[in-house]
Amino acid sequence: MDSKFTPRSRGALAFTLAAAALLSGCSAGSSKPAAADDGQPIEVWARAGTDASTTYAAMFKEFTAKTGVQVNFQGVPDLDQQLQTRAASKKLPDIVINDSAALGNYTAQGYLVKVDKSTVEGNAKIADSLWNETKGLDGATYGVPFSRQTMVTMIRKDWREKLGLPVPKTQEDLEKLATAFATMDPDGNGQADTYGMTVPGSTERGYMAWWASSYLWQDGGGYLKDEGNGKFSATASTPETQKGVTWIKQQFCTPGNTQPGALTAATSVASPFFQTGKTGIILTGPYNFSSFDTSLGGKDKYEVIETPKGSVDSTVLAEGENIYVTASNGKPEQTKQVINYLVSADGQKAGMTAGKQPIVRVPVNSDVDAAAVYNDPRWAVVQNALKNSSKAFPSAINFVPIKQVAAEALNKIVADCGADNVASGLKDLDTAINNELTNQNAKS
Amino acid sequence: MSTTTSRTPAAAKRTSSSSRFDSALGWSPGWGTNMVLRIVLCVLVFCIFALPFAAIISGAFDRNSSPTEITLLPKTFTLANFEAASQQGLWGYLLNSLVIAGGGLLLQMTVSVFAAYSLSRKKFRGQALLLLLVLMTMMLPEEVIGVPLSLVLGDLPLLGLSLRGSVLAVILPVGIWGFSIFIMSEFMKEIPAEIEEAARLDGVGEFRMLFTIILPLCKPALGVIGIFGFMMVWDQYLLPLIAANDPSDYTLTVALSVLRNDTTVGPGVLLAGAVMAMIPSLLVYLFLQRSMIRGITAGATKG
Amino acid sequence: MTAAPTKPAVTPVQATRSTPPPRRGKGNRAHVLAIWVFLLPAAVLALYFKFIPMAEGIRLSLFKVQPFLGDVFVGFDNYASVLTDARFMEALGHTVILGLTQTIGALVVGFVLALLLEGQAKSLWFLRTAIFLPVVTALAVVGEIWRILYFPTADGPLNTILSWVGLGPLQFLNGTDTALWSIAVVGIWSGAPYNMVIILAGLAGIDRALYESAGVDGATIWQRLRYITLPALRPAIVIVLTLAAIRSLRSFTEVYVLTGGGPAGSTEVWMTRMYSLGFQRNDIGVASAAAVLLLVVTLLLTVGTQLLARRKAER
Repeated sequence: MDSKFTPRSRGALAFTLAAAALLSGCSAGSSKPAAADDGQPIEVWARAGTDASTTYAAMFKEFTAKTGVQVNFQGVPDLDQQLQTRAASKKLPDIVINDSAALGNYTAQGYLVKVDKSTVEGNAKIADSLWNETKGLDGATYGVPFSRQTMVTMIRKDWREKLGLPVPKTQEDLEKLATAFATMDPDGNGQADTYGMTVPGSTERGYMAWWASSYLWQDGGGYLKDEGNGKFSATASTPETQKGVTWIKQQFCTPGNTQPGALTAATSVASPFFQTGKTGIILTGPYNFSSFDTSLGGKDKYEVIETPKGSVDSTVLAEGENIYVTASNGKPEQTKQVINYLVSADGQKAGMTAGKQPIVRVPVNSDVDAAAVYNDPRWAVVQNALKNSSKAFPSAINFVPIKQVAAEALNKIVADCGADNVASGLKDLDTAINNELTNQNAKS
Repeated sequence: MSTTTSRTPAAAKRTSSSSRFDSALGWSPGWGTNMVLRIVLCVLVFCIFALPFAAIISGAFDRNSSPTEITLLPKTFTLANFEAASQQGLWGYLLNSLVIAGGGLLLQMTVSVFAAYSLSRKKFRGQALLLLLVLMTMMLPEEVIGVPLSLVLGDLPLLGLSLRGSVLAVILPVGIWGFSIFIMSEFMKEIPAEIEEAARLDGVGEFRMLFTIILPLCKPALGVIGIFGFMMVWDQYLLPLIAANDPSDYTLTVALSVLRNDTTVGPGVLLAGAVMAMIPSLLVYLFLQRSMIRGITAGATKG
Repeated sequence: MTAAPTKPAVTPVQATRSTPPPRRGKGNRAHVLAIWVFLLPAAVLALYFKFIPMAEGIRLSLFKVQPFLGDVFVGFDNYASVLTDARFMEALGHTVILGLTQTIGALVVGFVLALLLEGQAKSLWFLRTAIFLPVVTALAVVGEIWRILYFPTADGPLNTILSWVGLGPLQFLNGTDTALWSIAVVGIWSGAPYNMVIILAGLAGIDRALYESAGVDGATIWQRLRYITLPALRPAIVIVLTLAAIRSLRSFTEVYVLTGGGPAGSTEVWMTRMYSLGFQRNDIGVASAAAVLLLVVTLLLTVGTQLLARRKAER
């Protein structure tokens, strides 16, 4: 067993490395292929699970029946990963329906082509503020608004009435209500097992910053501001923002005002507290209406109220989806028809009712009334908030890293109740946000 | 412990106390402080490791499972969660998972046994390097090689085939797992060279050597790579996701993950899915335990 | 090696055998062939599905990755971003602490479990299967269970148990100084049964005759453990430690599911940092750089473990 032949294993290693280098080098071509019509049905992607996909499928069936245009629709749960794979093979799907927040990233990666607003039929029916949100850093339009929603405040009505408290109209009222829920046993079971607000305070995916944004805006603060011309600057350490953060910290540091474990809870962990009757207040999106109705045992158990006013106003966070046209799209005619349908009254209604799960929440088409279509007056609150008192994160930049550093900073500030760290923590956040903006060439 | 009774005469040793040498600690089967201690420890260990799962199982059968409390028995027993799970198509995904896990495990064990044989029973230069390469395949997180891997799957270098949408797209990549090769080779190294030399003198060829001489001595190791290999393939998330052409290609693990992010699905359904996902691995473990525990006819294996 | 070299400069190098080499031409070829045939399936699969993607992943760490527009070479910028990130060094420290604690804890507890549950009784079969549950369950589910157990109020399950022995309620995952240890406990809890299986397999291979002769010699259980069992478990322990070296630096899911890296960054580990700096920002180049750094450290650690194992074997 002591054969002494030449160590071919070393040769094998060399071959492996060479082959790997050669074969991986094949994908390094960097010219953008010209988009051309390949005769296949137009390919539309959207981030959707199985239930949402049924709605999209039904919607596009109706579209094909109307226009005769075939659509190859794919509901993709891990949209970002798959999109990267397609990008690496230089063949993106023709149309992508995804978060409006993705615009900054997609434009930076070169995925999108400009959209001419005037070619969209019925573009006047979509509010100007929504069109502004689809502009890139260069001021051109890169997407078409498709669906919108805002966060709303929901309160356990039965608890509130049992304790004889009025509907909260200001942030102070809200705070008092939270304390009452935590200390006065509103579910009457004799145990101190109820809490005030349901807060996703984790830094995971920037949830803390996502939740806190509404409260900061309500006090006149915010993470950054738009200086115009595609430039932004951080506003994290202004006195208004400090006021908002101080209020938030107070909630975390008053026992019971937030659910236990809020510091490390993502929405999937926090929402069940509201659903199982452990907390009485939640600020979240209207997509939860149906699951709350089921788990709380009826619409009358909780109420959707107009968000309490901060020191300035009742701004809440608005989010939504856009329709994006990719740089691989070689079918301008069919694309136009798809877009026109998706923002038409029929298309929007189909998106709300055609399948198991609505993919259009509040329609962008002003002719369609969400409360009427859903037959649910609670949607009127959402629609009103969207029109009159909502703000969205800037979509022209990639806001995700800013959301992340904000979440980390806020989480750190509220985690240490004993320290007076609001001002210093926010100053650090300010610097971090400005650094991020500089990285993206968007610092004013 | 039970040492004071160790000096029994040889005759008595053969009858009742041979079991004293069945385990490293020498537990004796009779009742005594020893047995009580063992029972207490076992109960403690059971409570620590297994009792929390009663919560999962009871939650799967409970109509209103609360994700904020542990309940050991369902408050309102129901099979509705499992019905809802079938509506979501979870049984179909279970089937996908079973096919992929079965095929993947078979390939993985075969590849690992062959490779380990070469790495452990043969001497050649660069062996340590090859072993290191084997271990290296486990050192980059799969998210980082995710996109390059999906490109390879879509267009195999030199062959130009696409594996996407077929079960091979998952089975082939999981066929190579450094863990299995490493474990098999470590256990194979322990087999004394004399056994092999004796067989060679009898003119035994390589394949027969592997299958009739070496492998039977490695049953515990085979059991280990069997159970962990099954679990590794079963738990694959990223690979089936990038290999799928269509949501119907998903495995149970992927489907459960997608459902977890869906706000309208209730926690009971997720728990039902989790229970469905646990059972095959447990069954494989139950089945393979036999090989990992010393057989009753001990002592006959060596020599 | 022959002691007296004859004519060193002139004699051509022959096989250094003192006896003429046996006529093993055909046998030698078959031997070599066997090695490569047996390695071939693994080599082909590894090349296609591991090494090629890995090489690409490593290559990407030197680029600003723009899949559609084409990658831009940036040299070591990505590495600089990772190494100068304020939280990265903290995360490194946490990773090491978590890794060490979980490795040692899971090894010790797994060893104890294996010793406790070794044997053929039916009840032991059942117990061993029940104890295996933490390993077969999806980490997301394990995370949910432990979140409930760790509920930070006085009536949370673990706090209730602690109150029986007079200890105050702990914050567990919610406190900056307790969160990391809480995660370590979960890691030990789900890792110990894993190690138990490997060690049981090792225990099964111990020759019972050795125990018998130790019994005859009057050895105590402890001596038996120390001089027979432990040395015989060397391969099993080497496996456990090597795997731990590779795995522990990569712990991600349990941290992500339990705390997301908080509170206040007290449980950030290498992989969560890689996620925040890389994937969440769609910056694959930075993620790859962090992964390559991880690869280098893991490689060093593994080589170290292997060398230590070889040295111990020779002793």
